[in-house]
Amino acid sequence: MQAFTVMFYRQVLRFFRARARVVAMILNPLIWLLFFGLGWSRVFQSPMARVIFGGVDYLTFLAPGIFAMTLFSQSFIGGVSVIWDKQFGFLKEILVAPAPRAASIAGRIFGDATLVTLQGLVVLMLTFPLAHALKPAGLLPSLLLGFLMALAFAGLGTALALKMESLEGFQMFMMILILPLTFLSGAIYPIGAMPGWMQALAYANPLTYAVDGARHYLVGASAARFALALDWGLLLLLALGFLLLAALAFRRATLEG
Amino acid sequence: MQPAIVAEGLKKRFGRVEAVRGVSFEVRPGEIFAFLGPNGAGKTTTVHMLTTLLRPSAGRAEVAGFDVVAAPTEVRRRIGVVFQDPSLDRELTARENLYIHGRIYGLGGPALREKIGEVLRLVELEPVADRPVKQFSGGMKRRLELARALVHRPRVLFLDEPTLGLDPQTRAHVWDYIRAMKVEAGLTLFLTTHYMDEAEALADRVAIIDRGEIIALGTVEELIRRIGGELLYLRPEGKGRCRPLPGVRNCRELPDGRLLLEVEDAASALPRVLEALLAGGQRVREVTLRRPTLNDVFIRLTGRELRDELTRPGPAGWRGRR
Ligand SMILES: Nc1ncnc2c1ncn2[C@@H]1O[C@H](COP(=O)(O)OP(=O)(O)OP(=O)(O)O)[C@@H](O)[C@H]1O
Ligand SMILES: [Mg+2]
Repeated sequence: MQAFTVMFYRQVLRFFRARARVVAMILNPLIWLLFFGLGWSRVFQSPMARVIFGGVDYLTFLAPGIFAMTLFSQSFIGGVSVIWDKQFGFLKEILVAPAPRAASIAGRIFGDATLVTLQGLVVLMLTFPLAHALKPAGLLPSLLLGFLMALAFAGLGTALALKMESLEGFQMFMMILILPLTFLSGAIYPIGAMPGWMQALAYANPLTYAVDGARHYLVGASAARFALALDWGLLLLLALGFLLLAALAFRRATLEG
Repeated sequence: MQPAIVAEGLKKRFGRVEAVRGVSFEVRPGEIFAFLGPNGAGKTTTVHMLTTLLRPSAGRAEVAGFDVVAAPTEVRRRIGVVFQDPSLDRELTARENLYIHGRIYGLGGPALREKIGEVLRLVELEPVADRPVKQFSGGMKRRLELARALVHRPRVLFLDEPTLGLDPQTRAHVWDYIRAMKVEAGLTLFLTTHYMDEAEALADRVAIIDRGEIIALGTVEELIRRIGGELLYLRPEGKGRCRPLPGVRNCRELPDGRLLLEVEDAASALPRVLEALLAGGQRVREVTLRRPTLNDVFIRLTGRELRDELTRPGPAGWRGRR
């Protein structure tokens, strides 16, 4: 357990040391909300548009999406720190320690997920004044659901990074995954409006269920597409699966290759 | 007493490269044991196998009484490692690095805080303990790594090229720390180096490793005694040529034209050698007398200079990157 808490602590320490990262994490969703959301909300002012967005204005529709998107990309990008640890050698320090490998990698993933969820909280606090229709009561459950998703993607990012030699390789995965999954999640336009083949992809996209759950809590049940149980169930499975994957990848890690 | 390290026929193969080709040795508790060898000899690979980070392709090894493959966790509990390449968290301060290390090894509370203070004092880093490591010089980082490896009171300490890339002054300092560590009761040290002076200065026993094999093992005295006698450097007029000379066991022509002669006893051999050379028409302008060093042992065993490896990379295949 010591290894879990200390690796958790290390992620937190490192996060707050990197001021630029703290600023970027708040700026990025704000840019989406203001320059993307506010702009399009002017375009989508007709009653017709409100129907498309489930009876709410565009900014209210978009806000849970930006929240989920932020958590998703930030938690996945957390894997980069594993690559740094490889390159700066710190990973060897962990590999040669007697602590259970699963505990230390889990501590790191939970640390990342917690930090990312805090970012989500900041994002939502900034969002409430802009999107008036959001329900404050949805804040807590959204954060919990977001935490689960952050665990899943921090786990995936970490597992992938453990297999990568270079930052470039990981960046390739970031390119391949982050934007398409965001577009295919219903975060910025409704899944119902997508062509059939795109909808199929959206259903296969885990981010979809995080967006859906967040929308359920923050906007209302009518804005959601799936049952809450499905959102929670899928994300829970995914979090467990990716945590396990990361633990296995780390348990086998040597200096080979 | 049970040996601190036992290696039996330890081998490691990377694809087609055989980095370590079956090394066997024992390290006694409390001794400083050095692996001395040129670049690519297989020193780091051996350290990685002994510290459970690489799985041997063949052979076996025990550290602190536990098998490195069968009981890696038991081994890890009892060892401290300073890797050849830095392994610090550069974003954190020295103290934070030590704290995290201690916690990973299951320590905590006032005992850990006290130990951290103690190791920081040992390597004289107390004044900079709260500065981020990325601001440290190479020597400071090295000292911090030495300190960190001691926090959890290991029984066996591995130091892979502890003074690589440090200036002479810092090296001497690090040597002092290493000697001070040995004083700590029961600590066994396994260190690798390609500096012969480092092996001579620190090690109780030395294994000379070349191309994945141990080619000689013993105390520095024993190894040097294998050469025996003394070394004479003669600078003849013109280029020196080796030929049978009285009292000379071994002769080498050096690139600078000098002759390197191994003799039993220089005082009695020198007059006869000079006489014989003169009779052969060769005048000698300068004579230097020297006691043999580990470098001479290496030359005798391999026909190459250990020292050369420091300054210029050998031809392809030479460094083992075959
Ligand atoms: N992961 C690896 N994959 C392939 N070859 C490797 C690997 N690690 C080491 N080698 C090769 O094994 C040989 C021994 O390398 P090693 O690092 O053990 O030497 P060394 O004695 O530590 O040298 P140096 O003084 O340069 O540190 C070299 O030929 C090296 O190229
Ligand atoms: Mg090495």
